[in-house]
Amino acid sequence: MKLNKYRKKSPWILHYNAGGCNGCDIEILACLGPKYDIERFGMINSGNPKQADVMLITGPVTKRSRERLVDIYSQMPEPKVVVACGSCTCTGGVFRGMYNCEGGVDQYIPVDVYVPGCGCRPEQIIAGVVEALKKLENKTKEIEKSVRLEVAPVESDNQINRREIAAPINNGGKPSVFG
Amino acid sequence: MNNIVVQILLIALAPILGGLIYGLERKVKARMQRRIGPPLLQPFYDFLKFADKRKMIVHSTHAFLGLLHFVSLWFAVAVLIMGGDFILIIFLHLLSTAVIILAGFSTRSIFSHLGANRSAISVLAYEPVLIIIAISAYMLTGSFDVSALYASEIPVLFKMPLAFIALLLILPVKLKKSPFDVSEAHQEVVGGVELEYSGIFYEAVYTAKWLDYIFVYLLVFMFGGANIWLGLVLVALTFIYINALDNSTARVNYKQMLRFCLWVALPIAFVNLLLTMFGVL
Repeated sequence: MKLNKYRKKSPWILHYNAGGCNGCDIEILACLGPKYDIERFGMINSGNPKQADVMLITGPVTKRSRERLVDIYSQMPEPKVVVACGSCTCTGGVFRGMYNCEGGVDQYIPVDVYVPGCGCRPEQIIAGVVEALKKLENKTKEIEKSVRLEVAPVESDNQINRREIAAPINNGGKPSVFG
Repeated sequence: MNNIVVQILLIALAPILGGLIYGLERKVKARMQRRIGPPLLQPFYDFLKFADKRKMIVHSTHAFLGLLHFVSLWFAVAVLIMGGDFILIIFLHLLSTAVIILAGFSTRSIFSHLGANRSAISVLAYEPVLIIIAISAYMLTGSFDVSALYASEIPVLFKMPLAFIALLLILPVKLKKSPFDVSEAHQEVVGGVELEYSGIFYEAVYTAKWLDYIFVYLLVFMFGGANIWLGLVLVALTFIYINALDNSTARVNYKQMLRFCLWVALPIAFVNLLLTMFGVL
């Protein structure tokens, strides 16, 4: 018996803030409120990774939050989809190249749908989740196998990296600790 | 409730009926908040989705205790439908709660431990009231059998009105509804004891929640006596009462809950026991 079609009828949401400014989080919570009411599609903000299907991430992934991010992601049972909400989460946004974060969430976990905007509108989030549900329905048992991510770190692109343009620390001719 | 075929059908369909009640409840709750709300069959969609998810278990005992929780609760509901011993029903229900508390303590998750702690405290809050209601029923009919209450010509509600009020006061604790939802408390302990379950084993705990509705509404139905329509009206009124209370109140902490149940609900039940004992009503 194929149960795939029931996946998109009850997607339970897990919402994680990976060091963002709370703008996108408020928009996500607005989706759950009376105006947009995504519970009519069966979505619940479950808050529990072990029972969730859709992971909504906001914020650039800061150094402190990346371990938790990967930990929470690996606790979610398959099939699961990841939606990156907001510019910071998609690419790093205004924080790209800073000392505490790299270029977006897809450096750490695989992302299915990118929702741009700063902060992303509730309509956009709903559209993004609907796209994600199409993907969720077509996921097979293949996803239960573990994979290694092959995305290169952000240093290779043309972005200005503040580590490089920062003034070198004068510590007696020795190379700086950041070098 | 006398026909054996009806009884067996009710026992077999109890989880499905409970799921429908839960779906209706989510719909009513959404309407009270001016939302449209999920479809009526939403709990069953959730059920089918969980059947397909990957099974991640903490350890096998934990998963087994979850299944045992569901089975023992179904036994309690079955005995209640068949009109068995009231004390047996209460203790079967207590067994199912004890099993899920054990499951909560068997993992290393701190939220699971907190949820199990709070579940144990909830049991402490509602169990004495239920026992006293059972003793009142014994004083009224001369037997602990629930079937004697089902067969009562004068509705039990008019014989023990205070017991019904006490039952209404502890129902939110039992159903884990606001203001007495400390044991579930999604914002604090993320669901409590059900936290570590996933996939098909969460289904057992999720379905047990539906059975809890059947259990509670059967207890309410019992107060209608032989008059089935009065029983159904009581169930409908209780349903509206529970949902209105759930939507309009905030959570109290466990000490306040315990204090309320033991200082308000328990004396009311006790006064009812005295009135029944001396045949005042």
